[in-house]
Amino acid sequence: MSLLTVSNLTKSYRCGSKTIAAVDDVSFHIDPGETLALAGPSGSGKSTIARLVLRLIEPDAGRIEFEGNDFLALSGAALRARRTRLQMVFQDPLAAFNPRATVARVLDDPLRIHGIAARAERPRRIAALLERVGLTADVAPRAIHEISGGQRQRVAIARAIATKPSLIVLDEAVSALDVSVRGQILELLLDLQRQERIAYVFISHDLGVVRAIAHRVVLLEGGQIAESGDARTVIDAPQSAIGKALVAAAPRLNRIRP
Amino acid sequence: MTALASIRDLTVTYRRDGNEVAALKTINLDIVAGERLAIIGESGSGKSTLALAIAGLMPRSSRIEGRVDWLLPSSPSSGAKAPLGGRDIGFVFQDPSASLDPVMTVGKQIAEVAYTHLGLTWPQAYAKAKSLLERVRLPDPDSALQAFPHQLSGGQKQRIAIAAAIAAGPKLLIADEATSALDTILQAEIVALIRRLVAEDGMTLLFISHDIALAAELAERIAVFRHGELLELGMTAQIVGAPTQAYTRTLLDAHIGLDAAPLLNRAGLDA
Ligand SMILES: Nc1ncnc2c1ncn2[C@@H]1O[C@H](COP(=O)(O)OP(=O)(O)OP(=O)(O)O)[C@@H](O)[C@H]1O
Ligand SMILES: Nc1ncnc2c1ncn2[C@@H]1O[C@H](COP(=O)(O)OP(=O)(O)OP(=O)(O)O)[C@@H](O)[C@H]1O
Ligand SMILES: [Mg+2]
Ligand SMILES: [Mg+2]
Repeated sequence: MSLLTVSNLTKSYRCGSKTIAAVDDVSFHIDPGETLALAGPSGSGKSTIARLVLRLIEPDAGRIEFEGNDFLALSGAALRARRTRLQMVFQDPLAAFNPRATVARVLDDPLRIHGIAARAERPRRIAALLERVGLTADVAPRAIHEISGGQRQRVAIARAIATKPSLIVLDEAVSALDVSVRGQILELLLDLQRQERIAYVFISHDLGVVRAIAHRVVLLEGGQIAESGDARTVIDAPQSAIGKALVAAAPRLNRIRP
Repeated sequence: MTALASIRDLTVTYRRDGNEVAALKTINLDIVAGERLAIIGESGSGKSTLALAIAGLMPRSSRIEGRVDWLLPSSPSSGAKAPLGGRDIGFVFQDPSASLDPVMTVGKQIAEVAYTHLGLTWPQAYAKAKSLLERVRLPDPDSALQAFPHQLSGGQKQRIAIAAAIAAGPKLLIADEATSALDTILQAEIVALIRRLVAEDGMTLLFISHDIALAAELAERIAVFRHGELLELGMTAQIVGAPTQAYTRTLLDAHIGLDAAPLLNRAGLDA
């Protein structure tokens, strides 16, 4: 059974006298432990879909089924409980946290708010989470602004997995990182997926990364699905005009390998 | 091969919270007139500092040692004359909003550069602005002249920033992560635009990027920076095909291209 099923999702914004269909009749599904990439040019609706799936905004029309429930019908305690299963990691980890907050505080919040661990047990849980994402416990007392961008993104991932989610939405989560750090974060995400069967909605306009990490891809343009399918099949031989344009625009390193 | 700028033993130190940060350490580099030179390196390696030091735009709190000698065609007799920002050097930054004035029309901003540096009258400067908007292929130059920056998309704003940067006919165009905030389609368009303008005007290009693949597509030479040092400098084919530094190889290996081996182990999924 699929983990997340999105059907006919629609969301428009009013912009002066014009109405922009940011997401226009979009349907897709994700299986447990699967990575589905959303790719497309700027403004194609990727982040709007992310926000709709996370219920940070409400759609004009459509259905979202998550873990067998009508996710849009949930409210109150039922919604809060279900939300622990659906987490997010965004591009700029500084923006998501108070920069003065310590790493320990950032990880303590979800454990406390969702009643996952008693106060006495939380420091041990925090240390375990840090270890899980490849950090040592000595970063716990440091402020968020004192650690590197790659470390911050690891903390963001640790926070996301603190509530044992089945799905994490990653919106350009590796786009701002240096290439070498980016590779390490992608490896971490894959490792977590293998161990805990977490599914990812992986949003990126970098088709190289999408091809390397995703099982399937949905290519968006103007809020609509232009093309979707197996990530390597679609990217190696795109059928849609936007797919062809995205592939043609990707920078290539013509390396002469020894 | 004449050097437009010769950088000799350039060392730049920032002061921050009572500490000294060495952002560049004894850099020696010739920028050849007419070349497309890329500066690549990880975040904090000193790329932007190099650009600012070359353009003489360093903050007062910084300490600069060494020197940059210029050979500007405008003043052949005095080879070491300092260049003038805006006239001799055009700058394009990652965030076009940072270089565009939000409360001034696009036309006025570009015309002002031409008016200030080329000694044109205002009507001539506006005519020049319009022709520049045509050169950067903005869809509707007449209405763009009247537009304010917030009314334009990110890609359009970057085209306007480029038009303003080249308005005075600079010898050197410095593009500091000029395409990093754009999606790949817009990025490819802006790179093609920069390449065309540099060729048409015979400008020298300093293209700063953390993306080695993008740099390799545009530049004839690549300089690799790390921790404020110039690690390696060579022709693009040599840097990409036969780098001498292990760090450059690490950068090349970390690039995930369309032909990269998938990281994903499909056997792990029973969907
Ligand atoms: N809060 C909002 N109000 C008005 N319009 C919006 C709002 N959020 C998004 N839009 C519009 O909806 C469309 C889709 O935007 P969205 O942010 O989902 O795109 P995206 O694919 O994530 O782009 P990017 O790659 O630039 O992040 C765009 O035209 C955008 O301008
Ligand atoms: N105004 C400043 N005051 C103090 N330190 C600075 C200042 N500007 C830069 N630095 C420091 O100097 C070093 C080099 O920074 P620089 O901005 O030149 O790097 P960069 O290669 O352009 O990085 P990025 O890819 O992130 O733009 C870094 O350690 C940075 O923190
Ligand atoms: Mg987005
Ligand atoms: Mg910089």
